[in-house]
Amino acid sequence: MKAFFIGAAALALLLYGIAQGTLSRPPDDGIIRMRWATDPNPARVTQLSRFSQMFPHLEVTVDPGLGGDQTKLIVQCATGTGPAIIDIYDHIQMASLVDAGVLLDLTPFAKQMGFDPSRTFESVRDQLMIDGRQYRFPCNIATSNLLYNKRVFDRLGVPYPSDDVTFDELIQIGKALRRAARERRERVIPLADMNFIVLLIAHGGQFFQQDGLYSSFDSEAAIAAMQMRFDLMHKHGVIPTSVEAATVSTQGGWGGDSLTWFSGDRAAMILIGRWYTIQLPQYPGLAERLGVTGLPRVPGLLRMSPIQTRAAGINRNSPYWREALNFLVYLASPEYSELIVADGDGIPPSPLVAQTGADLVNRFLPNAELQQAFLDATINARNTNLSSFIENGLVNRLMWEAQGFVDNRIKTPRQALTDLADEIERRIDLNLERRPDLQERFRRVTGMEWSRDWRRKIPKQRYELAGRKPEEGPTYWERAAAP
Amino acid sequence: MKRGTKLDVLRFVMLVIVGIAMLVPFVWMVSASFKTRAEVEDVRIVPQRPTIQNYPIVLDMKPDPVTGKYLGLRFGRWYFNSVMIATCVTVLQVLTSAMAAFAFARLRWKWRDKVFILYIATMMIPGVVTMIPNFQIMVTLQFLNTYHGLIIPAAFSAFGTFLLRQFMLSIPPALDEAARIDGARSGTIFWDVILPLARPGLVALAILTFLGTYQSFYWPLIMLNQDQFYPMGVGLLALDSTYGRQTELIMAATVMNIVPMIMVFAIFQKHLVKGLQLGGVKG
Repeated sequence: MKAFFIGAAALALLLYGIAQGTLSRPPDDGIIRMRWATDPNPARVTQLSRFSQMFPHLEVTVDPGLGGDQTKLIVQCATGTGPAIIDIYDHIQMASLVDAGVLLDLTPFAKQMGFDPSRTFESVRDQLMIDGRQYRFPCNIATSNLLYNKRVFDRLGVPYPSDDVTFDELIQIGKALRRAARERRERVIPLADMNFIVLLIAHGGQFFQQDGLYSSFDSEAAIAAMQMRFDLMHKHGVIPTSVEAATVSTQGGWGGDSLTWFSGDRAAMILIGRWYTIQLPQYPGLAERLGVTGLPRVPGLLRMSPIQTRAAGINRNSPYWREALNFLVYLASPEYSELIVADGDGIPPSPLVAQTGADLVNRFLPNAELQQAFLDATINARNTNLSSFIENGLVNRLMWEAQGFVDNRIKTPRQALTDLADEIERRIDLNLERRPDLQERFRRVTGMEWSRDWRRKIPKQRYELAGRKPEEGPTYWERAAAP
Repeated sequence: MKRGTKLDVLRFVMLVIVGIAMLVPFVWMVSASFKTRAEVEDVRIVPQRPTIQNYPIVLDMKPDPVTGKYLGLRFGRWYFNSVMIATCVTVLQVLTSAMAAFAFARLRWKWRDKVFILYIATMMIPGVVTMIPNFQIMVTLQFLNTYHGLIIPAAFSAFGTFLLRQFMLSIPPALDEAARIDGARSGTIFWDVILPLARPGLVALAILTFLGTYQSFYWPLIMLNQDQFYPMGVGLLALDSTYGRQTELIMAATVMNIVPMIMVFAIFQKHLVKGLQLGGVKG
């Protein structure tokens, strides 16, 4: 037995020795090496080599995390060993990292070094800021468009969506596709999915009132948005129920299913951004039969779609935070944006490089008209707002839970959203009661001292609807609510 | 048909159904690794246009058709790292667990059973709770981005100690007493009497440790920032980026990744079952 253990230990030592002996060590060449917490997609290689050309004394390597899971980032930042540059996928994650004291306030450097919010698209500027301070700069921008697969429409003999598509038109198209597919004994999903956030923005709704003290989930716009999702799913059959999705899918995860349904001619339409086009070479003939238009709009309102940005911030505890600022200079440069154009990885951060659809033409999608549609989606694009009085990750979680209740017919849209707003406001009250810093913020926001009965003194405002088109009159739910 | 035979048939049918249910995901994984991107979402098990191109793409012998670029995956290195780390952890963990189990099962010392209860109580603490303190210790020891940062924390196991202690308790105490009468000291008893008799337990623990370490993901993900240290699980993250999930490539890589695990299990499965059964005899 002793001999066996000695043999096994010798084998382990030998393998360990080989592994150690074949490691490459960074040369002592005076170059500062920093880490960038991002997803390790192949485009990073070109992006990082271009950065090194621009800043020869700096080198950045990719430090992969696990998709949206922030455990690695939190553990490393909590022990002072986090990466210098951090990709932040949405403004909710940004708020969490600011609260945790991880992100550097970029405001004192941004203007002078050339990466202040004015260097990017207007519609994402507010997502880079919290309380008027800038914490990140875009790596790319994701808008939402309605893409349609002309092969499916032609096969089923249904006309394409118009350039000014409304929800009424979408429902008619969806029904026609279902009918035609049924007649041909085919299984086709009219629209891969349309989540509550997309619908909320399209309906001019928001998460919070401007002061962040009251939730707007119980506004008529929000309830109409959730009702629309319910109707699209259960009444009109335009988007799949979870059961239907499971029967046509073998793969889990966000986006994965929808992409392959659409690309594989099993879904006629999908809501997605320009980044999808990189998938086109995998599906021969699809680029030529692709249609792109804006998101459907609610009659009475402008066409409004969500916009998000994957943007980089700097770890304030990194020993190289000053050097890392140069990475943001690089992200704001036309050279970086040209790489994003060529790779099809969303809309580039610099508007100077993307003024027309022709500027965005690349090998994946050489059609300038379609590229223009992606660019048009940045107009009137909005994002959901945040509240400083509640942890925004929690709000997100509660909201998806409410969507689940409606999808599964456990609650009506009005009931789910009223409960959601009540729960959020209850938690805001709890936070205010426990945290003196929030009471101080309350005083700054409202101009009055916090007290337990403040809700009696500051009643909930009537929600202001965004994007109204006066020439089209009231919206359908306003008409329904009229006496 | 006799009642017993009917029951046997029913039992057989049930087992076949359970077996198929367990086998289908594996078959799907292998089949998806031979599908194209356009086909990978298809529920059909047999690929309509089978292709082997996913394997050379993962092995960096062909460019990814989506980007036209080589993926730059260091598959060979990650494979070697996984096997090396699993081997080192297995050798160390079996040795330390056997020594601890011997102390808890065969030696008499004050507060032995209380210390044992305390030791196995550590199994009740979720890993997430101790992640930051453990990581901080690794940072202090400068173990970040090193192989020993992955090997040393895994070299000690309360579960392994528990398993082998139960095993050693089932060995008759008369054997050590006879050895002691013959002048053997504790070290000799451990190496020459107890360990040979505890072989099934050692093999079972070795298999479980090797498989567990080979598949470990979260700790290496947090501990490592350089791709030359990655084990296979962390390296495969490269196929799940914002460009989209490349399912067919992930499946091809996974098929290649699980070969050592299947081999280890196939060779040692008898020992595993026997070791676990015998370890459960005495409490």
